[in-house]
Amino acid sequence: MDELLQFVITGITVGTVYALIALGFVLVWKSSGVANLALGQLVLISSWFAYGMLVQLGLPAWFGLIIVIVLSLMLGWIIERFVLRPLIAQPILSLITVTLGLAFFLEGLVSFTWPKSVAALPHILPDQVIHIGTAVVSMEYLLAAAISLILFVLLSLYFKYNKMGIAMRATADDQLAVQACGIPVTKIFSRSWMFACVLAAIGGILMSSIGGITYGLVHTGLKAFSVVILGGLDSFLGAMVAGPIIGLAENVGGGYLTPLTWPGVKDVIPFIIIIIVMFIKPYGLFGEERIERI
Amino acid sequence: MLKLNNIEVTYLNVIRVLHGVSLSVEDGSIIALLGANGAGKSTTLKAISGLLHVEEGEVTDGSIEWDGQRIDRKSAEEIGKLGIVQALEGRRVFGHLNTEENLMVGAFNRRDTNAIKQDLEMVYDYFHRLKELRKNTAGYLSGGEQQMLVIGRAMMATPKLMMLDEPSLGLAPLLVEEIYDIIKRFNTEQRTSVLLVEQNVRIALSIAHYGYVMENGRIVLDGDAEFLKNNEDVKEFYIGLSAMGIKKSYREVKHYKRRKRWL
Repeated sequence: MDELLQFVITGITVGTVYALIALGFVLVWKSSGVANLALGQLVLISSWFAYGMLVQLGLPAWFGLIIVIVLSLMLGWIIERFVLRPLIAQPILSLITVTLGLAFFLEGLVSFTWPKSVAALPHILPDQVIHIGTAVVSMEYLLAAAISLILFVLLSLYFKYNKMGIAMRATADDQLAVQACGIPVTKIFSRSWMFACVLAAIGGILMSSIGGITYGLVHTGLKAFSVVILGGLDSFLGAMVAGPIIGLAENVGGGYLTPLTWPGVKDVIPFIIIIIVMFIKPYGLFGEERIERI
Repeated sequence: MLKLNNIEVTYLNVIRVLHGVSLSVEDGSIIALLGANGAGKSTTLKAISGLLHVEEGEVTDGSIEWDGQRIDRKSAEEIGKLGIVQALEGRRVFGHLNTEENLMVGAFNRRDTNAIKQDLEMVYDYFHRLKELRKNTAGYLSGGEQQMLVIGRAMMATPKLMMLDEPSLGLAPLLVEEIYDIIKRFNTEQRTSVLLVEQNVRIALSIAHYGYVMENGRIVLDGDAEFLKNNEDVKEFYIGLSAMGIKKSYREVKHYKRRKRWL
């Protein structure tokens, strides 16, 4: 029983970080209807950005991280401006495929710029060990989860009350009508990509300051993908609820199944969940079903 | 004042849908643009509001002037900022936003927070029902309420020219009257010009000052509302009255078609 508590706590905290990354996906999906398949690569490249700033340039943590955030904002802007904008009004399949191309491009860029595939980031968050009951948890995990939660709340408030946030939700509903109101949709798309990249960057930094930078960060993107499928593609709350569920399933399931089956079963569990969700509840837990008045 | 000088509109570089349309909208007036399906009314509106660019259409000839300034090359966003706002056909509300959020989207380009609050009250004053529904999800409003919301959203931009695309579409006659009364009131109280696209000729001419009749991408007839209301061709082909002014009966054996005088 001892290990159960351990698995649960680790699962929930890691899942919350997945949820944070998933929020970036939901953002882009909600405003522009594009499924961003380059999520994991965005996480990967921004972790390497952090490595470049903190380790290679040796900047102090606070300053280096600000630069990483600025870089990821720029990355988001560039992606929207030069990759997606030329494809506006093209079939949705082209838009999704181009994000796949973007994924490979970013991956190539990473292995070109940082040929070593593994690196460690300095610990940014305090890593004392805390005992919760029988479980031993690093402070890092808890803080990472807390940061994710705070960002989630901020983002929800932004979408509920900010003018730009409301306009972004409106764009998800009807692009042409938004333009008829004199709102530049391109600005909204670029804003959502910038947010998505920042969220991926923060998620990436949190993950890699705990576990180091590996190629495995790309899989984090895939896990975030299963989070949005479970939570509903267009729901922030869904992502935030589904994140810990995926994290729990992965850690508890992985923890108990690994001795019985094979190592790495942990990573398969989120995908099994995707398949089950697609069968039972294709809109996800909180996904909006299309409103149709008859 | 808005002036269209002999504009031609072509979609995808090959499909020409407007063949030289000229019209003008004086400040503070209500202008009706009438015609059957496919006559080019909505295209004319989109040419003015700049939404044509989104649909791969282009003004290939002629010019559109707003207060002496050419706007036919400008984007929808710039045109919106000049004070021209279009309410699209078919009650296109933002279904997942609530009523008030929908209205606030209409005020996106404005910075004057206090005036926006006042205008929100003004819209609620015009459409009392929207006030009761302010927290309801727009997608679940009734058709009439959605149409009110779309018009209210256009009002929130404090336009100088409001273009309405078939506000009567699919609504009960009573509701149509109510909405038209409000459009008329808005026009007199706020001095906003209104360019009205309609198939319901009778109701449109009841509030318009001047009207244009379009067919096949051309304007075939124009005149002030009284003239159009009494024009035999308009009566016959658009209002459905026979030359005598009585409702047409299809029971009569001989109901040969009147030939349009403008052809």
